[in-house]
This record gives sequence, C-alpha cells and structure tokens, in this order.
Amino acid sequence: MGKIIALHSYKGGTGKTLLSVNLAATYVKKGKNVCLLDLDFRAPSLHAVFKTNNSERWLNDYLNGVCEIDKVLVDVTQEHGRSGKFFVGLANPATEAIREMSAKDRKWEMRALGRLLSLKTSLLNDMHHDYVILDTSPGLQYSSINAIVSADVVLVVTSLDASDIKGTQRMTRELYDLFDKKTGILMNKVLPEILSSKKEKQKFYKHFNSVHKLPILEAIPCFCDVLRAGGTYIFSEEKTEHPFTKTLDKLATKIEEF
Amino acid sequence: MAVYKKLEVKSTQLLEKIKDSLERLNEKIDVMIEIQKHGQRANPEIPDALDVMTLLSLPDHLRKTAVTLCKLGEATADNVAEQTKRARAVESGYLNQLVIMGYLKKERRGRKAYFYVEKEA
Repeated sequence: MGKIIALHSYKGGTGKTLLSVNLAATYVKKGKNVCLLDLDFRAPSLHAVFKTNNSERWLNDYLNGVCEIDKVLVDVTQEHGRSGKFFVGLANPATEAIREMSAKDRKWEMRALGRLLSLKTSLLNDMHHDYVILDTSPGLQYSSINAIVSADVVLVVTSLDASDIKGTQRMTRELYDLFDKKTGILMNKVLPEILSSKKEKQKFYKHFNSVHKLPILEAIPCFCDVLRAGGTYIFSEEKTEHPFTKTLDKLATKIEEF
Repeated sequence: MAVYKKLEVKSTQLLEKIKDSLERLNEKIDVMIEIQKHGQRANPEIPDALDVMTLLSLPDHLRKTAVTLCKLGEATADNVAEQTKRARAVESGYLNQLVIMGYLKKERRGRKAYFYVEKEA
C-alpha cells in the first residue's frame, strides 16, 4: 500500500512547493507512480511549474463534489516521467476561484475532509499510485489541516528563522500531536557552512531534534543554483548530479523507511 | 442429545437478546448522562459540522473516535474499535456522546447501530 505525504509549514516561503515538486520527481525517477496535488487554494502554483492547463477539472471541482478525482489529474509522464508515472492535480489559480475557496463554510470544509480522506482508496488502492504528495498552504488553515488529517506522513518544512521555529513548535503540540501523525522535520535553506563538517552536522541535528522534539529527516542546504533556476524547471530532474538532488534522493529513501 | 442441543441454541439466543438489551440500555444511559452534563441541545435539528477545527477542539479520546469515523465514512462501534484498538463498549459510548453533541448521526438497521457524519447527497 502506498503513502500519502503532506508537506506543511508554519510560515510561507519555506520551500514547500519546491520540495514537493522535487520529491515527487525523485520518486518518479526511482520508478514509483506518483500523484502530486496542489492543495494551496489561496496561492496555487503547480500550474506554473508544469505549464499545463490541460486538466478538464481542478481540485476545487473535486472538493466541491462536481467530479471525481480522475477528471482532475493531468498525466505529465511524457514530459516529466523517467521510470514511474507522474500525475498532477492542480488548484484553480483564477482570482474568482481563490475568493470562492476562501469563503467556504464549516459544512463545506467537513465534506472536503471526507473527499480528501477518500483519496486513500481511490488513488492508492484503485489507481495504484505509490505516493500521493500534498502541497499545502502554510499555517492553521482549513485546507492544510484537512490535508494533514488525510496524510499518513507529515513533513514540516522549517527554516532557521526564530519565529518559524517557535511557530513550528506550537503547531507540533497543538496540531500534529493531536492527530497522532507520523511527523518529520525538513530544515530547509540551511547555510552550507553550518553543515560543513560531519561533527557540525551531527551537532546541528542533535540540537534541532531536541528543539522540535521530532526527528529531523533532512537538513537541506541553501543552494544558489536552485534559487537561480527560479522554478522554471524541475531541478532534481535536470541536474541529476547536483548535491541538492542527492540530498533529495537520500530524503526519499528515509521517508520510505519512516 | 437433541434436547441438549435445542437447549443450547435457546440459551445462546437468550444470551444474545440480553446482550442486545444491555447494549441499548447502556446507550440510553450514556445519552442521559450527556444530557445531564451539557443539557439538551437547543436545536437538535441543526447538526454541528464535524470539521477539522471542531476535531481539534474535542478531547483526545473523542477526537480519536471522530477521526476514525470520518475515515470509515459509516461504521458500527465494532468497526471503529477494530481501528482504534479500544474496547467496543468504550467506542459505543464515545460514538453515542458524539451523536448527542450533534456531530454524528445514528441509524439502527436490524440489530446493529450504524454511525456516520453525513450521507452523500
């Protein structure tokens, strides 16, 4: 049985989308069938990464109950597949759609949770995806908490920013722990000099393991090359020998064993 | 021999009936306790939504039951107990509490009680 992985963070701009996309591509490269879903309805971004408007329907429609998930998924295997199949589900980026999604009531959110929970059966059991990766919006928002409840594994992306660390600690106590979720931390944009030697690296991991009281799955250095690419292509797909890609390969294996 | 077998079947049926009645009695006592604690809901016709924010506000023991039921869609106390690894009677009590709080609905079909959040239209 496959896994549903949600990438979440306390603050925006921590690199959730970049890591979601590259992690998905890493699994595809490993021969896994992957489905990547954009659940950030307030700031949709996957349509720009995959440069596609080929979907008959958006994820908004699926959650609204007007279509099933197969109508939403876009097969990008031809452009981005290596060994495994690659599907994406997009959030509608139109301003009207964003406005509509942020005005939903509690009853709608309750139904949306039911629709998200049923993805475990439809995507993992019926459509045989190995991994479903959920890119969420930051903070305590309905769509992101719905994603967390639906996921098997939650990856919390944090930076070294003090307010981000404090917020992540609070979310661990008041959100992830309450739903009994298998949760791991991804420290992103870490200054390379902090991870310069094995000893420094160990010290860093030990310190943040105790700060977050959660396993630090990976510390991802800040790479200028990745920033320079600016999301115009999928980095781990193009630069297969780059240290960023190697770090994601390691992370993908760790998640498999998590 | 045949008489003993008949007696055995009869006593099993009787015990099943007693168990059934005790379970119903238990559920009714749960309802009464809950009403005593929190009073009758002002408008039981308008159910509260069991959204994630509500799930977050529930006490741990009820949250576990509620999340499990959300995952199962519709379930008996037995089905929920299987997932949570808690006793069936415990889950039955929690499910009935959630019904009284207005978050779940309950329907009897034959001897079994089914709980659900909401039926799809």
